[in-house]
Amino acid sequence: MFRPEEMVKLDVITLNRYKDELLTYLHEAGLVEIRELDVKIAQKDAPNEYHRKAASYSITISRLVDFLKAHKKAHGGGIKEFFFPKEKAKRTYRYEGIEKLIKDVEEFLAKAEPEIRAVEGKLSSLQTEIERIKEAIATLELLSVFKLPVQYLRHSGLVEVSVGSVERLKLQALIEDLRKITEGRVALVSKELGDKALLVVANLSKDHDKVNSVLAKHSFERIEVPEGEGTPEELVREYRKKLDAKLRELDKTKKEAEKLAEKYYDDVVFYQELMENERDKASVLPMLARTNMTFALTGWLPRVDVPKVLEGIKKVTEGKAYINVREPSREEIEEIPIKLKNPSWAKPFEMLTEMYGVPRYDEIDPTPIIAFTYSFFFGFMLTDFMYGLIVGIVAALLVKGHKKFNDGTYKFAYTLLWSSVFTMLMGILFGSYFGNAGDIVLQYVTGNPNAQFWRIADALKDPMFVLMLALAIGLAHLFTGYTIGFIVKWKNGDVKGAVLEQLPWMLIIIAIVLLATRNASLAMPAKALFGIGIVLFAIGEIVANGGLAALMIISDFFGFVGTWLSYARLMALALATSGIAMVINVLVDMVWGIKISVVPLGIIIGLIIFVGGQLFSTAINALGAFVHSLRLQYVEFFGTFYSGDGKPFTPFKSKREVSKLELKADGGA
Amino acid sequence: MEAVTGILNTTIAVVFTWVGYKTARILWKYTPYSYPNARIKAMEAKLLTEQKFNELAESRTLQNFVVNLEDTDYKDYLADVSSYTVEEVERALERALAGTYGLMFRILPKRSRGFFGLLLEGWDVRNIANVVKAKLANEPASDYVVELGTMLPKVKAMAEAKTLEEILVILEGTPYEEVYQKLLLGEIDVTRFETELYRMHYGKLLSYALSRKDDERIILEEFVRLSIDRVNILTALRAKKAGLSAEETKPMLIPGGTVKLDPLLHVDSFDMALAELDSTKYGQVIRDVREEIEKDLSVLEKALNDHIIERISELERFYPLSIATPLSYVLRKEREIRKLRAIAKLIENGVEPERIKELAGEVA
Amino acid sequence: MDPIVYVSLGAALAAGLAGAASAFGVGVAGAAAAGVVAEDEKNFKNALILEGLPMTQSIYGLITLFLILLSAGIIGGGFKFAQATTDNIVKSAILFGAGLTVGLTGLSAIPQGIIASAGIGAVAKNPKTFTQGIIFAAMAETMAIFGLVGALIMIATGVGL
Repeated sequence: MFRPEEMVKLDVITLNRYKDELLTYLHEAGLVEIRELDVKIAQKDAPNEYHRKAASYSITISRLVDFLKAHKKAHGGGIKEFFFPKEKAKRTYRYEGIEKLIKDVEEFLAKAEPEIRAVEGKLSSLQTEIERIKEAIATLELLSVFKLPVQYLRHSGLVEVSVGSVERLKLQALIEDLRKITEGRVALVSKELGDKALLVVANLSKDHDKVNSVLAKHSFERIEVPEGEGTPEELVREYRKKLDAKLRELDKTKKEAEKLAEKYYDDVVFYQELMENERDKASVLPMLARTNMTFALTGWLPRVDVPKVLEGIKKVTEGKAYINVREPSREEIEEIPIKLKNPSWAKPFEMLTEMYGVPRYDEIDPTPIIAFTYSFFFGFMLTDFMYGLIVGIVAALLVKGHKKFNDGTYKFAYTLLWSSVFTMLMGILFGSYFGNAGDIVLQYVTGNPNAQFWRIADALKDPMFVLMLALAIGLAHLFTGYTIGFIVKWKNGDVKGAVLEQLPWMLIIIAIVLLATRNASLAMPAKALFGIGIVLFAIGEIVANGGLAALMIISDFFGFVGTWLSYARLMALALATSGIAMVINVLVDMVWGIKISVVPLGIIIGLIIFVGGQLFSTAINALGAFVHSLRLQYVEFFGTFYSGDGKPFTPFKSKREVSKLELKADGGA
Repeated sequence: MEAVTGILNTTIAVVFTWVGYKTARILWKYTPYSYPNARIKAMEAKLLTEQKFNELAESRTLQNFVVNLEDTDYKDYLADVSSYTVEEVERALERALAGTYGLMFRILPKRSRGFFGLLLEGWDVRNIANVVKAKLANEPASDYVVELGTMLPKVKAMAEAKTLEEILVILEGTPYEEVYQKLLLGEIDVTRFETELYRMHYGKLLSYALSRKDDERIILEEFVRLSIDRVNILTALRAKKAGLSAEETKPMLIPGGTVKLDPLLHVDSFDMALAELDSTKYGQVIRDVREEIEKDLSVLEKALNDHIIERISELERFYPLSIATPLSYVLRKEREIRKLRAIAKLIENGVEPERIKELAGEVA
Repeated sequence: MDPIVYVSLGAALAAGLAGAASAFGVGVAGAAAAGVVAEDEKNFKNALILEGLPMTQSIYGLITLFLILLSAGIIGGGFKFAQATTDNIVKSAILFGAGLTVGLTGLSAIPQGIIASAGIGAVAKNPKTFTQGIIFAAMAETMAIFGLVGALIMIATGVGL
């Protein structure tokens, strides 16, 4: 707790023939972050032909996946799936080198790809044909204004005919130009349609070039006249028949595709995952150094995993490897990847820290603190027992359903579960159950018009109390931050920074607290502390900013005041929750009494408003509480001591959802 | 009491007017860019990565190249490719670029989308110039037509035309008619003809940019002036290399740039011309590629292109909800397509993957 | 002016201005959300959350409206300040001030919407910036929160509930 996982550096040199196996082992183990190795005398490694094949097959297969997925019958879904998703079955693949894997994939593709492509090709050609027929029908409907058999519109020979459209305004000019250039040897039929005009031009074939340039000048758009003979109306009927036939065929082919999806979908997804992992594995090759016989890799891993990894490497390389594990040196501190380490109750909260940025290796990991403060602030801002209950139930279901995946949903739901507990506690403390709905019910049940649940204060009647509470919490929060910052800096030897940057605010906060007690005997020491704090702060500003210090002193001091006052949002959001809940309750109260003869319409509508309104209020207020609680951590709290510019630990790790590798190192053979 | 109420009312009236005015301005300025810029940002996430380019360079055949592009947004445009020739792939890529322009024109607010229409006209200018040059040199003109632009059908008809007079008929009524007539009458030569076309184009761009307001004007003006500078610097250096005099070069320059090229035109050698540029704002850009420029000016063209993209991206960070986002996206997309075309060509020529990676980095 | 004018104006301005500002803010962010979803549907969740942020100001306005009406007795009983005595005018003017504060600070919903819009774009380009986008947008809300705190204090201590 409070410290990231201890890391050590690993160097391995071994023979080239173990490379594929060793990388595969590390990839599956997912415990080491591989770093670029810069050795002058050795050259960089590069992907070979098999890796290239893996990359290209992975794209090919992903296209097959897309196609099959689109045609897969959907089943499942719904609320149950959301809370309790099923785990996908993992198929085992016995890994015996990339060459063998590529061969297996090729075998599979040789069988499946032509089948799938055939159906895909058929589908797409059917679709193009259908489009073509539809277009032809549209064209024919357009041409029907001429009432001419279409074969005449396609005429060529001594006389050629072109059909097309032109902007209506240009029509007259076009006709004149055409007459002029052909010296009148042209026949024209035109029909105006909105902004455009349809035009049939018949001219002598020998005038083709001249006519063409005039047509281009006026942006004449040619229309392709569909095949067939007879009037447009007759042809349209014929084309519609063709269209129906094609549509039926399309339906049949889609069924075929569905069957194919059933047959191959799991397989293609399986092979896609295998190929994508190979592709990912190949991405570290340029980081390795190699000679003719050997290769070397370097990387970071957590100390606790060292024995396991060492044993694995020895097994894979049959002991023929040089392995060196060493402590990080002082200069390497900025390079060490950070893996957070927390007890299981705080682990899901690491997500919040990671979103901001992980600590440097010599910094403190604030996760356990924000696990508490984040949930507490969330609860403070929501402050309603029933809302907390709703959020808590949803969160608990999600936690239960997603625990086995340990995914983002699980982590988020877990933080929400904690927050809901605080929400319920705060709700009890302020007597809020769906706002004042609890009180109204209580008054109705007891018959006492002034009956109320127990509470320490009525937030709406006495907002000053809540405000003071919020500001006091803020002060405590900030004080914690400054104290941590002070300790960390002191420990890392930055005594000057600790005394000049964190200590002044600690003193000032203590002074404010002493003054707030309004105890006359404490007033003197409070003022003294405040004075020392201000002086230290001013010195710090002068040291840091020199000439600009005067300006910075003022702006930074009010910056502190602003930061502190920012905690007023705790109160504002808490009141907003009870405010909205009250608004809904008032609305329900208004309609409750409405009756149409004996039908208690008011009660029905009232219940709908109540349930809908309160659920909406829960959602919107929970969103607000989430955002602003997070903000108080990130902006106000982290601002006091935390940099968050460590590099997160990204191990060289495979992604396995539907597949599992069986390796020699696992004791397979 | 009366006076107090009066003061109060006036204060409130003033506050409300001011707030109302400011609010309306903010809304007018940012709302129209909300949808397009968010969408373009999502599209930026899909621009090809360096790793993807490396994979593409490894394709070895054009068929693989096309397959490798099928998990990208080019998929739709590549659907018709069946014979896997360079020409066909290039046409598909050009259509993709045309699609990008079309999309920009559709989603951008009316008050600034005209700029993309004008940029598209730039391809018309290129096409017309290329077709006319090809016709004069008796080469097959349709090979030089890029499938882009606002008057593509006309350009294609021009490429098919048999005589220069037919081209004139086609160009009648377009802004390019007059210049072309001069060319036919022999008043200007073909180089001058091309310059005139580009002059017209950049003039239009500049006057459009200057007619905008606020950040739109700042961004567009910066872009147009940078583009003009790029063209002028390249023209001037090429002229220097060819040993042309200042008087011969001057008519080839396009007005509106920010760099004074006069001193450069009067120096004696190419090296001195470069030294002359060193003191301008392009000094840094040129210094970085100084060595290669002496051999190959296209390196400078690439460097200047990159400089423009970088500058627009800088402005994009400055004005996140402005025309800088679509502009920088289009420029990146153009660069990406240039690179893809280059890779396709190199693959066709059977160049080794490692070499392709190097060369593709140089062209775009 | 009559006390009733102050009170009703205060309530109307609080809910009206803040509500209109929220509508504009959500509108701006919503356009951006539609844009990124058009390109890639998996942006939906992130865009939705960012789009919802400018909504809070209208809620603050609504709460203030109710508190003002409650405090003046319009909800639950009769209007307390019917007589135009000095005391009543002062109290109703305080309520007006509270409403105006929330209304004007509620305008922060518009810039918040603009920040959210830019944030939605940034998240579409790089999903890792989601939290940062939320925090940036939440910054703009601080003014509205201060406004609400001020108004609550004005209503509770100046007039009483």
